[in-house]
Amino acid sequence: MNNSEFSGPRYWKSLDSLAETPAFKDWVEREFPAGASEMEGVNRRQFMKVMAASFGLAGLGMAGCRRPEQTILPYSKQPENVIPGIPVYYTSSQPGARDNVPVIIETHTGRPTKVEGNPSYKPYGGATSVYTQASILDLYDPDRATKSSLTPSAVRDRLAEISKASAADKGKGLVFLAEPSTSPSRATLVAQIKKTFPEATWTEYTPVDQSASEQAAKAVFGSTLRALPDFSKAKRVLSLDADFIHSSDSAIGLARAFTKTRKVKDSKDAKKMSRLYSVESALTLTGSMADHRLRLSSSQMGAFIAQVGAVVLEKKHVAGPLAAELKKAGASLKVDASWVDECAADLADHAGHSIIVAGEHLSQSVHAIVIALNDALAAPVKYVAVPDAAAGIEATVARLNKGDVKTLVVLGGNPVYDAPVDLEFGTALAKAEESIFISGIINETSEAASLLIARSHYLESWGDGRTFDGTLVPVQPMIEPLFPTFNDLEVLARLAGADTTDPYAIAQATFKAEGGKAFSKFLSDGLLEGSEFKAVNAKVAPATVVAALNIDELKAFELSASQLEVRYAPSSHAGDGRFANNGWMMECPDPITKLTWDNAILISPRLAKELEEQQGIQIFPSKKPMNKDSEFFEGAKGTLQNNKAEFKRGKEHAVVAELTINGRKIKAPIHVVPGMANYTVVLPLGMGREVVGRVGAGVGFNAYSVRSSDAMGCALGGALQLTSEKFYLANTQEHWSMEGRAIVREATAKHYAEKPDFATKMGVESHAPANYGKDDDKTLQEKSTGQFRGNSAYDHPSFAKPAPNVKVWKDNEDKFPAVQQWGMAIDMNSCTGCTACVVACQSENNTPIVGKDQSLRGREMHWMRIDRYFAAEEYDQTEVPEDVQVSFMGMMCQHCENAPCEQVCPVNATVHDNQGLNTMAYNRCVGTRYCANNCPYKVRRFNFFDWNKREIGQVYKGPLGKVDEPELQKMQKNPNVTVRMRGVMEKCTYCTQRIESAKIEQKRLAGASADIAIKDGAIKTACQQVCPTDAITFGDISDANSEVSKMKASDRNYSVLGYLNARPRTTYLARLRNPNPKMPKAYKKPYSYTQYDKRYGHGSVAGHGADAHGADHGAAAHDDSHSTEAHPAH
Amino acid sequence: MDASQAALLAKVQPAELHEQALVTNDRDFNWVTDKICRIVETKTPTWWWVCMAVALMTASFTGVGLLWLVSTGVGVWGLANPINWGWAIVNFVFWIGIGHAGTLISAVLCLLKQGWRTSINRAAEAMTIFAVVCAGIFPLFHVGRVWFAWWLFPIPNSNAIWPQFRSPLEWDVFAVSTYGTVSVLFWYMGMIPDLGVLRDRAMQRLSKGAYEGAGLLAKGMDVFRKNFYAIFAMGWRNAGNHWRNYEMAYLILAGISTPLVLSVHTIVSFDFALAVLPGWHTTIFPPYFVAGAIFSGFGMVLTLMLPLRALYGLHDLITQRHIDNMCKICLGTGSIVGYAYIMEFFIAWYGANPYESFAFINRAFGQYWWAYVMMFSCNVFTPQLFWFKKVRANAALVWVMSIFINVGMWFERFVITVTSLANDFLPSSWGYYSPTMVDILTFFGTFGLFSVLFLLFLRFLPLMPIAEVKFVMPAADPHGHHGDEKGDHH
Repeated sequence: MNNSEFSGPRYWKSLDSLAETPAFKDWVEREFPAGASEMEGVNRRQFMKVMAASFGLAGLGMAGCRRPEQTILPYSKQPENVIPGIPVYYTSSQPGARDNVPVIIETHTGRPTKVEGNPSYKPYGGATSVYTQASILDLYDPDRATKSSLTPSAVRDRLAEISKASAADKGKGLVFLAEPSTSPSRATLVAQIKKTFPEATWTEYTPVDQSASEQAAKAVFGSTLRALPDFSKAKRVLSLDADFIHSSDSAIGLARAFTKTRKVKDSKDAKKMSRLYSVESALTLTGSMADHRLRLSSSQMGAFIAQVGAVVLEKKHVAGPLAAELKKAGASLKVDASWVDECAADLADHAGHSIIVAGEHLSQSVHAIVIALNDALAAPVKYVAVPDAAAGIEATVARLNKGDVKTLVVLGGNPVYDAPVDLEFGTALAKAEESIFISGIINETSEAASLLIARSHYLESWGDGRTFDGTLVPVQPMIEPLFPTFNDLEVLARLAGADTTDPYAIAQATFKAEGGKAFSKFLSDGLLEGSEFKAVNAKVAPATVVAALNIDELKAFELSASQLEVRYAPSSHAGDGRFANNGWMMECPDPITKLTWDNAILISPRLAKELEEQQGIQIFPSKKPMNKDSEFFEGAKGTLQNNKAEFKRGKEHAVVAELTINGRKIKAPIHVVPGMANYTVVLPLGMGREVVGRVGAGVGFNAYSVRSSDAMGCALGGALQLTSEKFYLANTQEHWSMEGRAIVREATAKHYAEKPDFATKMGVESHAPANYGKDDDKTLQEKSTGQFRGNSAYDHPSFAKPAPNVKVWKDNEDKFPAVQQWGMAIDMNSCTGCTACVVACQSENNTPIVGKDQSLRGREMHWMRIDRYFAAEEYDQTEVPEDVQVSFMGMMCQHCENAPCEQVCPVNATVHDNQGLNTMAYNRCVGTRYCANNCPYKVRRFNFFDWNKREIGQVYKGPLGKVDEPELQKMQKNPNVTVRMRGVMEKCTYCTQRIESAKIEQKRLAGASADIAIKDGAIKTACQQVCPTDAITFGDISDANSEVSKMKASDRNYSVLGYLNARPRTTYLARLRNPNPKMPKAYKKPYSYTQYDKRYGHGSVAGHGADAHGADHGAAAHDDSHSTEAHPAH
Repeated sequence: MDASQAALLAKVQPAELHEQALVTNDRDFNWVTDKICRIVETKTPTWWWVCMAVALMTASFTGVGLLWLVSTGVGVWGLANPINWGWAIVNFVFWIGIGHAGTLISAVLCLLKQGWRTSINRAAEAMTIFAVVCAGIFPLFHVGRVWFAWWLFPIPNSNAIWPQFRSPLEWDVFAVSTYGTVSVLFWYMGMIPDLGVLRDRAMQRLSKGAYEGAGLLAKGMDVFRKNFYAIFAMGWRNAGNHWRNYEMAYLILAGISTPLVLSVHTIVSFDFALAVLPGWHTTIFPPYFVAGAIFSGFGMVLTLMLPLRALYGLHDLITQRHIDNMCKICLGTGSIVGYAYIMEFFIAWYGANPYESFAFINRAFGQYWWAYVMMFSCNVFTPQLFWFKKVRANAALVWVMSIFINVGMWFERFVITVTSLANDFLPSSWGYYSPTMVDILTFFGTFGLFSVLFLLFLRFLPLMPIAEVKFVMPAADPHGHHGDEKGDHH
């Protein structure tokens, strides 16, 4: 037991207690098993209690009437700084291999409940990734490693023994395999270990290594340098298979900086928009943001960048050996020359403002060329010195295979599962005399290791780390470890035989050593100002670049359906596997595929077609009456396409295929993704874990089982054999096409500059009478306060005036300013589709997960979702296109003023309040679900079962199933948000709890003054707070100067389905794309716009005579871009 | 006109219009009374016990289905986002529709003085009530928290709030409960004279005392009947003023019921018509739903009456003329429904709203095309056969077709409810609805429940209004029944 939790004098019960002998400690632990054993199963006391109660009620037969018995533990002594009901926020950071994400943790009476980014760290601006949001759930995972295989004291003893033994033989039998870490404290300890045990081997391994560019920099510059591109200065970007917006290290910062160049205030700004060229093998969010996108396999990227490089160098008049080498290297690839030329010319024309980035899975040669080209383009890229990489897992395995390893210490990770398959790490591990595994999760490695040391979650640990740019950030515990777990630093310190083993002291000492002064300020700021890596003057010498090139790596291979390229990428659910037991991540739809709970082999439509033909197994669904080839009914032709994968009764029924690569085979379902390079298949890593908790059990397939050390990024020579097996994939979006509807409205920057009002001239509303009638021209502020607002159960107060109850204070009416009116604007030009908002919302609002089976049925509970639509150049509704433009739209309750949901609720459970919120009164809801039916946006979610009380897979058992809400999971719940029971409807509330706490805070600040209006920006909804690109703005729309009002004043602002006159408070800013007119396939309008035009817009002939209403919205209407196309008959 | 012409004219006999009598074979009053009362008074036939057992077993599906539903959650049904209403609402509208024929026959045809209603109205009213019972189960149990369903009634509750009177679901509560109440009243009131007859017959037998040995059971039954019918006959003595009051009350109730025939299904159609969904949001629904309801109601009356006629040998009471008339009503309402189906397409096209036009094209040719085909063929093509007298005369064929009508009308409600929800505004949310076993069994169980109730009705209550049947008998016509002589003697 830890005595530090007691304040006040210490007492001891016995001499044993005083001495803290192991026997006493064991006794204590058995008597009061901390944590786990109480959470799991029934202990004796509980059993007696339950039995007594059951016997007592047995005769009555009224067990159902028993009130739930809960123990209340009042504070006998009020802890300092804790006011029940008031959350306390602490800074910390989420450790990563190369980037600690600075965070602020919301805690309620000592329980961390929500992770938010730390806005003090400017590059991330308070944003986090989706993984950071979900990481808090791992703290409360009932299946986490709750105790070590020995008692804590025995663990400490064992560590001391090892340390002593190793000191004797200088660490000859000691091998470390650690996850890479940014922690300077750990680095210090590692240095100490290396010093104390000079013969020991320290290696590091992470399955998704992102350091290829640093290795290349070492080859080019002679020292390991990290490139820090400044995208906010970029005007032209070429991304080479790099998903810098979403999945690379520090993607939050990169996406944030990049989208700054895409913020367009008005049509005059449109010209300033940056342009993104993306060359990709798989469809990523970066490719979705791109203005021009080229599908190209990863193995062809080398030749491609060589071609681009040759043109760039030519344009920049840099001759010499490098240019010649690049010309040679590029020759092996046949690709549209004008694409390369125009792209390179555009980059060269914007020298000083163009950046090239390459994916970290690409070869060092590619990165060497990128370094040289960025230099030639004077790209805004800064280089900083970073430590050299430690030896890799190959070294570990080599040592193990030698057979002289006494102790193997595996620090985190899961090498038995994720090490390259050819290294056979599991077998090698068994050769060590003793293997110690320090891990917070139960996994394959913990099964194999001889000693498991349970590791504390980062929210329970002291430590430190660095962000990607080197800024020192703390790791602070929010809660005393829930279980008897160990901190990394403590374990390492004990192994090193250090004097100080207290992680807090270690972190503090490191902080001092880093030149920090005030530790408490460091903790309250969450970072140390000015501690980032210093830029180094890195000059590129062409000769060294040439020397760094490996011409074999640059050669483009000929790929085909039988010679596939297999790419390994972390899955959007489990990452590299560490989130495999995280329900939020499992149920968070993949941004592109919208798959939940599973990974699939991602293949291109072309490959799917070829496989269908060759192997005679159907992947695409059969032609149906509404197909374009329909001879059934002329009017129905092409009006509804069949879905891209085989959806049977609304469930994706995927064909299972066997992939063979280098003699290894793996069987998995396939999922067709448009926009993939034809012969590249993607295997998402991190799923299919075998030793995993309840959530991750039986989910997905393990792509590590075919991944070998010589092809960690991508492997060549794969082949797919379709089988007759089928597999259900839980896809949350069955339909990929927008069907030509004006839902996500897009235009090119040029079009926007010419027709600034294009967004409001689309859709049915451009044909319908004005929604507000003659008041249509009133300002947003007048509308928000002066207009009739439908569907409230109560009187309609005058919104602009004080609330009616204020009459009590008749003479003090000035003290009661008008009720603020909340609204939201979403800038689709900034939204990258990263889905961090989805999980942030889930975390904030106690949204349950429902499991794969229920997701398959379409019962996922997310209050917010990201709709993803594909549009192709050719308007063909029946074929899955090969090249697509992707549009994203964050969709949640729109808080309609004339809400269709409100008037149909028979029990007044959903009503309007005077701030313009569409509110849900859960207590009143009887669950007719009429509101959900009548919601045009389909954002309402129904509790079909008691999700919060039933375990996944137990929901159908009803009263016969286990009623189980694990104590641990309850601890994560936000106490300010009701946990909903079965049978009630729920939906986005605009984070009403945040609005209320902001009101309380403002009233506190206002004191006696009348200044109780919440300041603009004081409320951030959970989705807004997490958004890396600030795509979401929330605030008071009755205030013309608020940020949200300004956003809504944009001429790109429109309401989705505005013609319904629901008057949503959430509106969208149309998306802009910025194509280069000189490029091949340069489009005058985004594909979705062209589709709309052809089908429902003015391009179509049906019922829309140009003369009937040509005058008032000719703007977007009679553009010439589609006039040559044949108009399909309606 | 000269005399010869006048003489000639006097000789001319107008052609006799052979309207088939409503009670054939020159039956007398006594026979009618006996025929109807004996259904209740004779020993329970074996087929009744068999049917009852089957019906009870089927009904238990509903019981088990609802038990699971309430104890576990609405998720045991196939509902999901975006299809939040599935079979439950389909079944509700289906059963309510069936319930329409009863009131129409008893009230509207009564006011229109259609004599042929008499031999079918009692059974049709019973059918109405039992259909409303079956219908009521679904909206009640489809809610997420059925234990709070009473919040839909304007009763003071702890939420201190009225129901929302603008919600069509709220109107449903009033419409259906009013309909149910009035139907029960009407049914019961119409039965009072007949209950009196049954009571009197039991008393007569008891006073004769002709029970011996095995007849003890029969005696016991008669004692039961005497008391049971006496209570419910409310002291009916067949007096003149009783009859006068009875006739007046009957007329008033008919007057009250008549608007209900239109209102109930109009309001049920508002559940859809008042929503914003393409495919629901349409003004054609009220008349189209009412026509459809009458259509399905008569379909169900045929489905029930034809076997009854065969089983109890009621051919003289339920004559070919009755069948003809019901077939013709089916033909008429079926054609109205078919017209509405086509008109929906016209409006969708004419309205030029892309969401609307998609909704209707999708209905017919989208993922639920099979349901549309079922609906259209059963509801539009089937009744067209009723143009032919030969078809109408073939009772077996009529019975099969009446089942088609019921199937088709169920599919109509399915098409309307599900297809509109499955593919609405945002394609990202599109989904597909499949019922679960619980959905299916709960629905089929209601047929069991319906049958149980109907079998009980057959066994214990008079199947036809004895007196009213007698009114329309040729024997009741003081002027003789073979053609009035010019009808000038009033």
